Amino acid sequence: MQLIKIYGDILENKSKAKELKDDFWKSKEIKIITGNIVDETQEDVPESAGPTLKPNVTDLREWDMKLLERYEPFYAPFCDMCCLCTYGKCDLTKGKKGACGIDIEAQQARTVLLACCIGSAAHSGHARHLLEYLIDKHGKELPIDLGMNIDIEAPIMRVVLGKHPKNLGDLKDGLNYLEEQMVHLLSACHTGQEGKSVDFESKALHAGLMDNLGKEIGDLAQIVALNMPKGEDAPLVELGMGSVKKEKPIVLCIGHNVAPGAGIIDYMEDQELEDDVEVCGICCAALDITRYNSRAKVVGPMSKQLKFVRSGVADVVVVDEQCVRTDILEEARKNRACVITTTDKICLGLPDMTHADPDIIVRKLVNDEVEGVLIQDPDKVGEVATRVALKISKERKSIKKLPNLEEIQEMSKECTQCGWCIRVCPNSLNMKEAVEGAMESNFTKFQELYENDVCYTCGRCEQECEVDLPLISMLTKVGEHYVKNEKYNVRAGRGPVQDVEIRRVGAPLVLGDIPGVIAFVGCSNYPEGADDVAKMAEEFLERNYIVVTSGCGAMSIGEYRDEEGKTLYERYSGDFDAKGLVNVGSCVSNAHIPGACIKIANIFAKKPLEGNFQEIADYILNRVGACGVAWGAFSQKAAAIATGINRWGIPVVVGPHGTKYRRLFLGRADKTEKWRVNDLRAGKVMEGEPAPEHLLYAAENREEATVAIVKLCIRPTDTTKGRQIKLNNYIDLHKKYFGTIPHDIYKFVRTEKDIPITYKKEVLKILEDDEWEPKAILQEPSLMDFKEEIVSGGK
Amino acid sequence: MDERVIPWQPTVIAGPKQALLVTPETAEMMIQKAKRPLLVIGPLINDSPAQTLSTKIAEKWDIPMVSTGDAFKSLSEADVQSRAYGLVEIVNLLKDPDWEGLKGDGQHDLVLFVGVLYYMGSQGLSTLKHFAPHIKTLTICRFFHSNADASFPNMNEGEWLKYLEKLAK
Repeated sequence: MQLIKIYGDILENKSKAKELKDDFWKSKEIKIITGNIVDETQEDVPESAGPTLKPNVTDLREWDMKLLERYEPFYAPFCDMCCLCTYGKCDLTKGKKGACGIDIEAQQARTVLLACCIGSAAHSGHARHLLEYLIDKHGKELPIDLGMNIDIEAPIMRVVLGKHPKNLGDLKDGLNYLEEQMVHLLSACHTGQEGKSVDFESKALHAGLMDNLGKEIGDLAQIVALNMPKGEDAPLVELGMGSVKKEKPIVLCIGHNVAPGAGIIDYMEDQELEDDVEVCGICCAALDITRYNSRAKVVGPMSKQLKFVRSGVADVVVVDEQCVRTDILEEARKNRACVITTTDKICLGLPDMTHADPDIIVRKLVNDEVEGVLIQDPDKVGEVATRVALKISKERKSIKKLPNLEEIQEMSKECTQCGWCIRVCPNSLNMKEAVEGAMESNFTKFQELYENDVCYTCGRCEQECEVDLPLISMLTKVGEHYVKNEKYNVRAGRGPVQDVEIRRVGAPLVLGDIPGVIAFVGCSNYPEGADDVAKMAEEFLERNYIVVTSGCGAMSIGEYRDEEGKTLYERYSGDFDAKGLVNVGSCVSNAHIPGACIKIANIFAKKPLEGNFQEIADYILNRVGACGVAWGAFSQKAAAIATGINRWGIPVVVGPHGTKYRRLFLGRADKTEKWRVNDLRAGKVMEGEPAPEHLLYAAENREEATVAIVKLCIRPTDTTKGRQIKLNNYIDLHKKYFGTIPHDIYKFVRTEKDIPITYKKEVLKILEDDEWEPKAILQEPSLMDFKEEIVSGGK
Repeated sequence: MDERVIPWQPTVIAGPKQALLVTPETAEMMIQKAKRPLLVIGPLINDSPAQTLSTKIAEKWDIPMVSTGDAFKSLSEADVQSRAYGLVEIVNLLKDPDWEGLKGDGQHDLVLFVGVLYYMGSQGLSTLKHFAPHIKTLTICRFFHSNADASFPNMNEGEWLKYLEKLAK
């Protein structure tokens, strides 16, 4: 029998005896003390736990300030004003403060915090939905068991909460904690609260950490409860608009929550309809459904959303949460597809039929008695979506969804050539030229916009068109007609990195023999098409990096073929090792990326995890050559993801649209005092290197980003062999894209042994010109505990 | 005519402060007045007549050049010297009044931009508008930049090249 004791020091309630009726309770000396009941068999937090268990908003502020001192926030205001309260709008230009006293810097940081709160809440709200549903379905005792090769099942939760979750029920503690933190963080955005930009930033970093935790909980829950891959090799699954069998009834899932999609798969299996109905998805819901059942198809990243819905291929559109077009109902109804919304996040004004009889719901949808329905029961969604698709598919096949090419030619003649379609396009794409070509029955330019998602079909051009040309429908039709073979593949998300893999790569990564881990995550707001991401991934895979990916980035990588027609997933293994291309899964699976870095600190360097955030992050920043890339980041979730990753000391590169987040974290390589570190082994403060040089960087194009990413994988503790490898990559790629050896190469050469042999002569010449002097190689650099002012530089 | 001074991407309008619309003549006056001007040249005009004209402008006025994105390679191949920086890196340096400048003789007082990705350039100009009162910004792209202090208007390619030719003469 388990021993149970009552702790009274948690919550003390002295009940008033006279309010109780039984005479016994009238005894004067009795006090009733209540508190949490603790099961002593549950693993306690170890005595060695660090100082920051369950950190509150300001508990990691010291670490944040260290980061912010080195990587000062760089603000690029998107708006000169503040319009959040009725004092406003307040003009914040020329150093003016708003009516509440806020200045432009603090206002930018406040907006960033707000974005991170929104993003973090989206992931954690998703995790909460999922966890409650899975507990309801499988019970809170369902064990968190990731198999023989994973002992550290929840690295982020271990560091932040000091907790080793044993079952689904344990995961609730993490959500309870982070939800409390999120309330405080969001409240700091209110008028008249925080006033300094750096403290807004510290809070944004905390929101990012909560985002990490929420994602880890969400993914762990679905992995164990839905039996998704547990870090093992996962199968290749079909990807692309051409992979969907259009002759079948089709259910399309859009969003991020796997539960409705899993409900559909379950119903189809129960009714033996797997061969009769096609299930496909867009965005992360697609990736997670294929982790549940590899028969499902991935249409692609969110850039496919409008064109796929416009194509009318889907009979039923099931939406759950995040990144769903808010006009999805209007778009789907244009070709009489049925819409089912499935969570409280997206209701679209539809009747709530969660508790209605499925027969009634099916009848109402099939007979067009309702535009769509809200059903917050994934199992019922499964039944209704499948039955409706089966019933309406045949009739819908006769509906003409898109204009034919002749009609497109005629429509194009209506164009006034005003050019505003170009001006309102986020990437200033030349839609006018495509329309002009179509007038002459030349669809080449439309085709160029369609391929590689160069146009990601946001639809702003249509909104602006003064003669209401359905430009996206025209683009979709041309693509459908001319672009063949849109069939690709993506490796299904494998979830976490195994502990055994960390044991294998920990040393070569920290020493620099494997030059880095590069993670392509995030959305599809690409400046020049989706294949930029794949080309970058290919470049790094060829150079022995470990490439990790997730979400829309993982899908974009799958849509690229080499000259032999193979995708990168076919060419490279899914191992977390040099030349491995690891798809961890959906947005929530991003948690496994910092998770892998945390495991390196723990498994390879024996750093204790529990309550030890600063030491772990300090280790990662200085030793683990990891870099995140969110090339098409557009959402608030991406802001939270990047900011959370940054707090662990992992730099991130975003695409040019990323400057619209208003804030980057940039280092100043020219200021040597910014790079001083405390060498814990030498016991003194030493001159350091600008490595990594930036914490959050925006590149203007792929060429610049490629070079920046390899540079950001350099770490002060690289061995000379490791540094040679990293510098070789840096110089190679700089020569490829810039034509020369980088002008700042001298900053990363500590001794002559660091110089790659191939470039020795040229680099030595640069060193001579720069009056370079050898530097000591740091042994155990740290940003913490600067106890002395002595600075040592040379050997 | 109004369309010439609505920002090329209209939604970059940030607030009440708008750039001054300039002709090549006014731009020339601004350059003449500057003590330490700088030209930031981006990759949108790689290997184009606009790039050639921009480098001629720099040569005429002895303006040092920073190349962003991968513009460095294109310029090098045309035997034009520049210093490669990321756009956000050079803007970050420019907003620091104590930065020694490209030549090491002090922070710049006028920065010309050309060929930089429009919306990213707009963000960089916003940074300088708010945090670099010591610098004037002038954009000589064919797109009107409302976040600059002074900007050429929106133009077609032909008219723009004529503007650049005037400034380079």
